Amino acid sequence: MRSTYKMLAAGALIALTAASPALAGDPIRRIDILTRPQAVNPPEFQSAQLVAQEWRKLGLDVNVRAIPWEQITDVVWYNRETWDTGSWQMVGRPERSDPDEFIHNLFHSSTVEKGYNFIGYVNPEYDAVADAQRIEIDPEKRRELIFEAQEILARDEPNMMLAHSTVVLAYDKTVWDPASVVDQSGIGIRNTWTFNNITPLGDQKDIIVNSGTNLNMINPLRQSGAVDSWVVELLYDRLARVGPDGLPQPWAAESYEWVDDTTINVKLRSGMMWHDGVPLTAEDVKFTYDAAVSGEAPMYQPFASNVESIEIVDDTTLVFKLKQPSASFITSSFAKLNITPKHIWEPILEDLKTKPENAESYQEEMPVGSGPFKYVRWLSNEEVVLEAVPTHFQPPKAERFILRIVPNVEATLGMLRSGEINFLGDYPGDPQVLIDMAAEDGDLEIAQTIEMGFKYIAFNLRRAPFNDPAFRKALSRSVNRKLIVNAAYKGFAEESNSVISPALDYWRKPGLSDGFETGTDYAAKLLEDAGYELIDGRLHYPGDIKETITE
Amino acid sequence: MLEAIAGRPSRIFAAMFRSLRLPLNDPFAVAGLVIYAVFALTAIFADRIAPYDPTEILFTADYDLASDLMPFTEGFVLGTTSLGRDIFSQIVMGTRSALLVGITAAFMVALIGSVIGLVSGYFGGWVDMVLMRLADIAFGIPFLPFVIVLAAFLEPSIWNVVLAMALVLWRDTARVIRSQVLTLRSRGYVDAARVAGSSDIKIILRHIAPNILPMSFLYGSVAIGWAILTEASISFLGFGDPQSISWGYMLQDAFASQALAKQSYHWFIPPGLCIILVVSAGFFITRGYENILFPKVGR
Amino acid sequence: MSFLKPASARLLQLVFVLWAVVTILFFMFRLMPGNPMAAYIDPTFTVEQQEILMAQFGLDKPLWEQYFIYLGNLLQGELGDSFRYREPVAGRILSLLPNTLVLTFSSLIVAYAFGILAGAYLAWRRGSAVENIAIPLVLTTRAMPEFWLGMVLLAVFSFWLGWFPAGGTRGAGASYDSYFALYTSTEFLTHLALPALTLAIYSQGLPLLLMRSNMLDVMKDDFVTMARIKGLSNWTVIVRHAARNALLPVMTSFAIAVGYQLQGNVVVESVFSWPGLGRELVNAVSGSDYPLAQGAFLAIAVVVIAMNLVADLLYAFLDPRISHA
Repeated sequence: MRSTYKMLAAGALIALTAASPALAGDPIRRIDILTRPQAVNPPEFQSAQLVAQEWRKLGLDVNVRAIPWEQITDVVWYNRETWDTGSWQMVGRPERSDPDEFIHNLFHSSTVEKGYNFIGYVNPEYDAVADAQRIEIDPEKRRELIFEAQEILARDEPNMMLAHSTVVLAYDKTVWDPASVVDQSGIGIRNTWTFNNITPLGDQKDIIVNSGTNLNMINPLRQSGAVDSWVVELLYDRLARVGPDGLPQPWAAESYEWVDDTTINVKLRSGMMWHDGVPLTAEDVKFTYDAAVSGEAPMYQPFASNVESIEIVDDTTLVFKLKQPSASFITSSFAKLNITPKHIWEPILEDLKTKPENAESYQEEMPVGSGPFKYVRWLSNEEVVLEAVPTHFQPPKAERFILRIVPNVEATLGMLRSGEINFLGDYPGDPQVLIDMAAEDGDLEIAQTIEMGFKYIAFNLRRAPFNDPAFRKALSRSVNRKLIVNAAYKGFAEESNSVISPALDYWRKPGLSDGFETGTDYAAKLLEDAGYELIDGRLHYPGDIKETITE
Repeated sequence: MLEAIAGRPSRIFAAMFRSLRLPLNDPFAVAGLVIYAVFALTAIFADRIAPYDPTEILFTADYDLASDLMPFTEGFVLGTTSLGRDIFSQIVMGTRSALLVGITAAFMVALIGSVIGLVSGYFGGWVDMVLMRLADIAFGIPFLPFVIVLAAFLEPSIWNVVLAMALVLWRDTARVIRSQVLTLRSRGYVDAARVAGSSDIKIILRHIAPNILPMSFLYGSVAIGWAILTEASISFLGFGDPQSISWGYMLQDAFASQALAKQSYHWFIPPGLCIILVVSAGFFITRGYENILFPKVGR
Repeated sequence: MSFLKPASARLLQLVFVLWAVVTILFFMFRLMPGNPMAAYIDPTFTVEQQEILMAQFGLDKPLWEQYFIYLGNLLQGELGDSFRYREPVAGRILSLLPNTLVLTFSSLIVAYAFGILAGAYLAWRRGSAVENIAIPLVLTTRAMPEFWLGMVLLAVFSFWLGWFPAGGTRGAGASYDSYFALYTSTEFLTHLALPALTLAIYSQGLPLLLMRSNMLDVMKDDFVTMARIKGLSNWTVIVRHAARNALLPVMTSFAIAVGYQLQGNVVVESVFSWPGLGRELVNAVSGSDYPLAQGAFLAIAVVVIAMNLVADLLYAFLDPRISHA
C-alpha cells in the first residue's frame, strides 16, 4: 500500500519536473574528499572529517576517502579529470620565501596540463598579473602585483584555504647554547643556519637529529625528498642562501651585483675547497648550471633555464646573462642549485649521456661537496653521519651531524628525553604533548614558528559543480576556520586565507580576512542565491543542470 | 539419501552440534565460550550500547573539541581520543568489526581447509598431489607480508585480512584434516560402506565429515585470533581501513597521537585487553578440544 | 643413506615452490591498479622523460616479456633497481638481512631456552596450582598484538626506567668495522634487548606447550617407569630420560618458528626503529617501490621456504618412523 503511494508521488514529481524544467536540476552526486590516512597525518585527516561534517549540513553526500599519498598523487597529478576534492598541503622551503613559486606555478594556466595547477584554474586576468610580477625587478611594484594576485584568488576561491600550521620543534638546551639556535622565518629552527651555528655547551658535540622517514638519495642534482635536502644542504654550498629573514644573502659567492636587468656579476669566495682537497673554482659553478640544463638533471632544469650564458672571467669571477629579467632569480636559482664538483660529475654525466638513466638515478659511493659538513657514512634505514669541515668559510661549531631514522613517534619523544637524540628535527605528533613534556623535563627548549606552507582543500575546477565559483565559495564558507585551527590543529595553526603565509610578512596582503563570513546559514544562503535547491535534504543543481559524472 | 538428510533440518542441526563436541567440561573452554558469548552479544547490540557514533567528532558544552578527556568526564565512560571521538563507543563498535573479521576469516579458513583436506585425503592420487603442492606453495608465502601487500594495493578495507587468510591460511587446516581423513579411510568401515554400495558423497557426509568437524572447529577458533591480531598489525602499520573502527585502528590512533607520552592508559589499554580476551578465548577453547581430541596426553 | 634420496626430492619440491612464489609475486605486483611509477615520476617531466624512466625499469615491454626477464635476472641473483633509492635491490636486502636474522635468532633462542625449561617444569608440576596459573598466562602472551606488547615494554623499560635505548641497533654515530664487531658489542646488545624480548615473550608459548605435552607423553613410556622403579629420583628421571626424548620434536619446531618469527618482525622492527628487512618491506610497499617490495618479500619467502625444508628433513631424520613417500 505504502509503496504504491510512493510510486504515485514519484510519478507526480516526474510529471511536475517535466512541466517546469527550471524547477531543479539533478541531485549533486556523492562528493569525495581524498586525504591521507590518519596514521600518516592526524590533523589533515581530522580537517577532512570536519569539512565533510560541515558540507553534509548543506545537503551534500560527502565521503572521506583516506588513501596513501602515492595513490592520491596518482589520481590528482596523473588522472586530472577523475577527482573531486582533496586535502593538500604546500610545504615551506627556503626558496619558497620568494612568492613566485606559490603565486605563479600553482595558478598559472600554463601549468594546468602537467604542472602544479592540478586544480585546473584558468583566469587570463590572473595569468597577466602572475607573469608581470615575475619580471618586475622593483620590489615595491612587484609587491603591488603580488597583492593583486592574492586579491583575485580571494575572490575566486579556487582552493579552500584552511590553515598555516605552527612548526613546533625542540632541542636539548643543556647540550646546545639556545643563543646559537637560529629561527628561520617560515621554516623553524631546523635549518642550515642552526646546524652551522649551534654551539655545544659541554662534551656532547654531536648534533643528533631525528627523521621519521628514510632518506632516498644524497645527490646534488636531484631533489629527492625533504629529509634528503637537509643533508644535501649541509654537504653542498650554493652561491646564495635564503637567510633567516627570508631574503637571499651571498654564501659561496662573496658578492653578486646586477649590472642591468639581465646581467649579474658574481664574485666567488677565494680558497674554497672540495672535501677531497680539489680547489673549487668558477669552472665548477658554470658546470653546475650547464648540468642542470643538460637534460641529465630534469628537476633542476626549470631553475636554470633562464640563464642565457655564463662567462668565466677568472677563477673566482663569473658573469651571468639572463634570457629575461627575473625578480626571483637570486632566490630561485642562486639559492637553489647545489654547486657540483666538475671533476667528479663531468665524467659521470658523460657516461650517462649514452644510457637511458640520468643523473637523478646516480648515487655516489662517497658524495663529495664543499659545504660546512662532509660525508662520513650512511647506514640504510638507520643513520647518516656527517663531519664538520673546520676549513670551511663558515666552520660549524659542532663536531658531527648525525641523522637518525626513527619511524616511531613515541620512541622519538623517548629518545629526546634520554639524550639519544638532542635535536628534534621532525615531529608529526601533537605539539601540546611536546610542550608539556618539555615543561616536565626541564632540559628541553621548545621553538614555535608559523610555517611558510599551507594546508588546503583543493577543488577540481574541471568538474561540475566545482566549476561554479558560487558553489566553491559556499563550500569554503560553510566551514569556520577556527574549527579547523582548534579541532584539527589543536590551536597550533593560524587561519589561512592566502597562499602567502604570515611568515612572509612583506608579501602577504593585509586585511584579506576582513569580512570573511562563514557558517552553515551563510553558505546555504549563497547556494540558494546561486539557484541550488535543497529537496528532501539533498542539494540539487540549479536550473535544469544534469549530473554528468557517474561513478 | 541426500534429500532425506535435507528433509530433517532440525535433526541434522542437532547432530552437527553434537558432532562439534563442544568441550563443556573443560573449565578453560567454558571460560572461552563465555568470553565469546559476551562479545557476541556486545556486537549484536552495539548500536544500542554505544552512546555515540564512533567516528563522530564530539564537542564539549562550550563548543571546544572534546579531545583527550579523561574517563567519566562529561559523560564519556572511557574518555575521548585526541581527535574527539568517544573511546567507549569505539570499543563497542570495534567488537563488531573484530568478530565480523574474525568469524568470517575463521569460517573461510576452516571451510576451505577442510574441503581441500577432505578431498585430498579421500580421493588421493593426482587430486591429492595437486592440492598438496598448492598447500606447499601456500606454506611458502609469508603471511603478514602478503597481507601488507594486499592491503596496500587494494582499497583499505577490513576484508583484505579475510581475503588474505582465505588465500593462504587454509594450508594448515588442509594438511591436518588430510592426515585425519587418511587415518579414517584406513579404518575398515569406510571400505565396508563402499562394498555395500555407498556413494563417495554419502561416505564423506556420513562417516568422514562428522569426524573431522571438531578439528575444523579447532582450527577455526585459532583463526579467529589470527584474524584479529593480523587486522591489528595491519592497522598499526597504517594499512588499515579508516572508515570502520576496529581495535587495531584504535591502537594505531592512540600511538599516532602519542597516547603513551600522554599516559592515556584509558585509551590504549582497553583495545589491547579486548584483543587479548577474544584471542585467548579462542586458545582456551582450542585447549579444551585438544583434551578431547588427543586424550592420550594425560593432562 | 636412506636419507639422501628423499632429500633430493625435497630439494626439487623446494625449487618448485620457489618458482611458484616468485611467479605469484610477480603477477601480484604487476596486476595492481595504477601506474607503478606514478610516485616517482616528477610532474615536471616531459612525456619523453617519463618514457625513458619507464624504459629504464623495463616497464615498457609486454607483461610476459617482463616476466621472463625477471626470472632470468633472478637466476643471476639480480633483483632490479629500487624505484625510490635508484640502487640495486639485492644490495639493500643483503645489508639489512643480517640485522633481521640476528633479531630473529636471538629472540628465538631466548624463547626456546625459556620455553623448554618452563615446559619441563610445568610437566613435572602437572596438576598443581602453578600449572593452573601458568597455562592461561602463556596462552595470553600469544594473544597479545606484538606491537602493543612492544610499545608497553618500550614505555616501561625505556621511557620510564631508562634501562634500554628506544630504538636502532647502535648509539648515534658509533662505527663498527664489521657486522661481527657490531653484534658482539655491549652497545648492540642493549639495543637488541627490548625488541628481542618482545618477540621472545610472544614466541615462548610454542616451545613451552610443546615441551610440556611431549614430556607428559614420554613420562608415561615404559623406560621412564623402569627408571622410576630402579629408584632414581624424580628429578634425575626428568632430566636424564624424559627431557632428552621430549626435546627432539621441540627442536624441529625451531625451524618452523624461524619462518613465523620473520613475519612477526615486520611489526616489531617498526616499533623499535630496527633497520631490518620487515621495515624495508613496509616502507617499500607504502611507497609503491615495487622492485624493492618484491625483493624484500622474496627474501623473507626464501627463508620461510628453506626453514620449512629444514624442518621436514630434521623431522624425518629424528623420527625414522616417518616415511618419505
